[in-house]
Amino acid sequence: MEINLSSITLRPFRLSDAEDLMSYAGDEQVTRNLRWKTMTTKDEAVTFLKDVCIPHPWRRSICIEDRSIGFISVFPWSGDDSHKADIGYAIAPKYWGQGITTEAIKTAVPQVFKDFPHLLRLQAFAYSENKASQRVLEKAGFQREGLLRKYGYIKGEIIDLVVYSFLSTD
Amino acid sequence: MEGNGGEGSNELFNITLRPFGLSDIDDFMVWGTDEKVARFCTWEPYASKEEGLNYIKHTIIPHPWFRAICLDGRPIGAILVTPGNDRCRAEIGYVLGSKYWGKGIAARAVKLVANIIFKEWKHLERLEAYVDVDNAGSMRVMEKAGFQREGVLRKYFILKGRTRDMVIFSLLSTEFPS
Repeated sequence: MEINLSSITLRPFRLSDAEDLMSYAGDEQVTRNLRWKTMTTKDEAVTFLKDVCIPHPWRRSICIEDRSIGFISVFPWSGDDSHKADIGYAIAPKYWGQGITTEAIKTAVPQVFKDFPHLLRLQAFAYSENKASQRVLEKAGFQREGLLRKYGYIKGEIIDLVVYSFLSTD
Repeated sequence: MEGNGGEGSNELFNITLRPFGLSDIDDFMVWGTDEKVARFCTWEPYASKEEGLNYIKHTIIPHPWFRAICLDGRPIGAILVTPGNDRCRAEIGYVLGSKYWGKGIAARAVKLVANIIFKEWKHLERLEAYVDVDNAGSMRVMEKAGFQREGVLRKYFILKGRTRDMVIFSLLSTEFPS
């Protein structure tokens, strides 16, 4: 299915996204590389939307024709580190490999710097084996800074992560 | 016995680690008032003993792991390990009185700490350090202590109102002792 990249939009989440959320949050292929727990019921999705996605400082649904096919989240750090924020993202596997995530990130980045005026550094961590995710960041203009060995402890595993950044001045 | 403590010299230094106490205030004030030492630290040189005592009381003593670097039993610097957000990693930091720079003392202390902390914190697998790109002395400490340089994190830190690029170093439990 070929998607016209200009039809990709970003918007806040709604409770009505619950079923569409399940198409990626319920898929192990996707959640394997996230800190998210794999969702099994629509009720879980509704709760997650209500308690996490909607009140979130900056989480957007990646949409095609206003239907959620993925998300982008930005977590600003607090206090002395508030000039930094972490960005994370995922889309449903059936949309992989078409440049959709890259397009969504490219759209999101200027919005993020506008919404967080004190932000100087947007950083992302990709699993060292997740080449597709690293390509998204590279194509979206992030700079690869290094491989952080045994940096993360996610879902019981210690993993190497590649760190990327996009500065407000980039 | 620990070997050569000097850089190209045959001086042997008796370096030990121990917790701080308020009675260490006078020794603390030697490096705590030194501009050269404070340059890459988040703090400005301490202006009074009272400020120094507050720092020992409110920052050093409650910290999860903070030790004095001692030469013949007297504190000449400090070294600390702060747990990361994931249990497999922790950050090491160190500071040394400037008259003791360049003799391999800080690297010795880092190695002593690595030896202790990987045993004490069972889940720890990665000890990391963030060094200012302009802090050549500290980068030498990292190299001498056997840490691997992983990259430069741009505008990672704000030091005294200015953004700084930081070099990130790490030592894995599997690499230690080398």
